[in-house]
Amino acid sequence: MGLPGHHPQDDLLFGYAGGGLREARSLLVATHLAYCPSCRERVAAFEAQCGAWFDETPSVSADGHLDAILERLHGRLGAEPRASVPPPRPRPATAEAVPEPLRSWLDGPVRDRVWTAMVPGVWVSSWSRGTGGSLARLLRMAPGVTVPAHRHEAAEMLLVLEGAFRDEYGRFRLGDLIQYEPGSDHHATGDEAGECICLLLVEGEVVFLDEPGPTA
Amino acid sequence: MSAAPPFDDLILAVARHRDRAAFDALYRHFAPKIEAYVLRLGSDRSVAEELVQDVMLTLWLRAETFDPVQASAATWVFTIVRNRRIDRIRREARPAPDPHDPAMATLPPPSPEEEAQVALDGRFVRDAMKKLSPEQTEALRLSYYEDKSHSEIAEERRIPLGTVKTRLRAALAQLRRSVKETA
Ligand SMILES: [Zn+2]
Repeated sequence: MGLPGHHPQDDLLFGYAGGGLREARSLLVATHLAYCPSCRERVAAFEAQCGAWFDETPSVSADGHLDAILERLHGRLGAEPRASVPPPRPRPATAEAVPEPLRSWLDGPVRDRVWTAMVPGVWVSSWSRGTGGSLARLLRMAPGVTVPAHRHEAAEMLLVLEGAFRDEYGRFRLGDLIQYEPGSDHHATGDEAGECICLLLVEGEVVFLDEPGPTA
Repeated sequence: MSAAPPFDDLILAVARHRDRAAFDALYRHFAPKIEAYVLRLGSDRSVAEELVQDVMLTLWLRAETFDPVQASAATWVFTIVRNRRIDRIRREARPAPDPHDPAMATLPPPSPEEEAQVALDGRFVRDAMKKLSPEQTEALRLSYYEDKSHSEIAEERRIPLGTVKTRLRAALAQLRRSVKETA
């Protein structure tokens, strides 16, 4: 049972293969792929399907404008430096190093962040990546601590990078990607055994249910 | 099936010998497809022409990375178009796993059963795609390949929004079933 047990839905995998997924969602999917050979196979199959559709496009051009572009390209072919094989990446220093692409995007160890406490024992990183209201952040839970009940007006996703947590829907561990429907609520509790760190996708408003007013 | 796929060979000729005649043949085949695709996705003509140049230059410079065992020529070119479009038109980065990443080797290895299942995964998707109705296939194509929203698809095909959603949901359920049946 080495491989993840919870996978992105095909809507995400197909969107990632076709190029429609935006940056933050792509980061969660691509990082899951590093953990999951099964989803890598599915993405490759979706890419092959897109390639087949691409191949069906007629290879005809109405006028000669593409010939003019080829002429221009001829002048550049010799001038551009050839792609060289990149040097091997340095081996991650610690056993807890997360895989690519997230490691490069974090640009430093997972724990080496500025953290904001949501409640005692639950922190969100100030580090974020993404565009247009769709952001990836890190979520950190102390052992056995519960994230207060909250409802997401838009989609929420979690990818487990370290440790494990459980909620109404199951128990989740390394490499698992969990999708929550918009409008759903859940209580996530970190495992007693150690801290749990997740990559978190936030889109739209988050409403805490146990507090008098909405909090972001 | 004795004839080697011609476009595979042309890309390999560019990779190995910097073969300009092979490049021209690839250009004549793929440039119109790239332009048509980018126009379909809503870019104007000058942007599409720029992307044609960008993609074909990338093909020339990175032909060594083409592996005919991993992907067909058309699929490989499509992934370049997709990545360059995200970079040049959407101005975003495209995160991707790195097969040479040493951190990947430290992850828990799959069990023999998992290994066997992984080998089947891609094939089941390909088989399931062939069994979809033409309407379901079209819904997938417009949504994931042409990057259209549900309402854009409804408008373009002149069908109710609910029908678009139903077709997509049914198509995705078919793909998912293909895995479950074997699990
Ligand atoms: Zn997976």
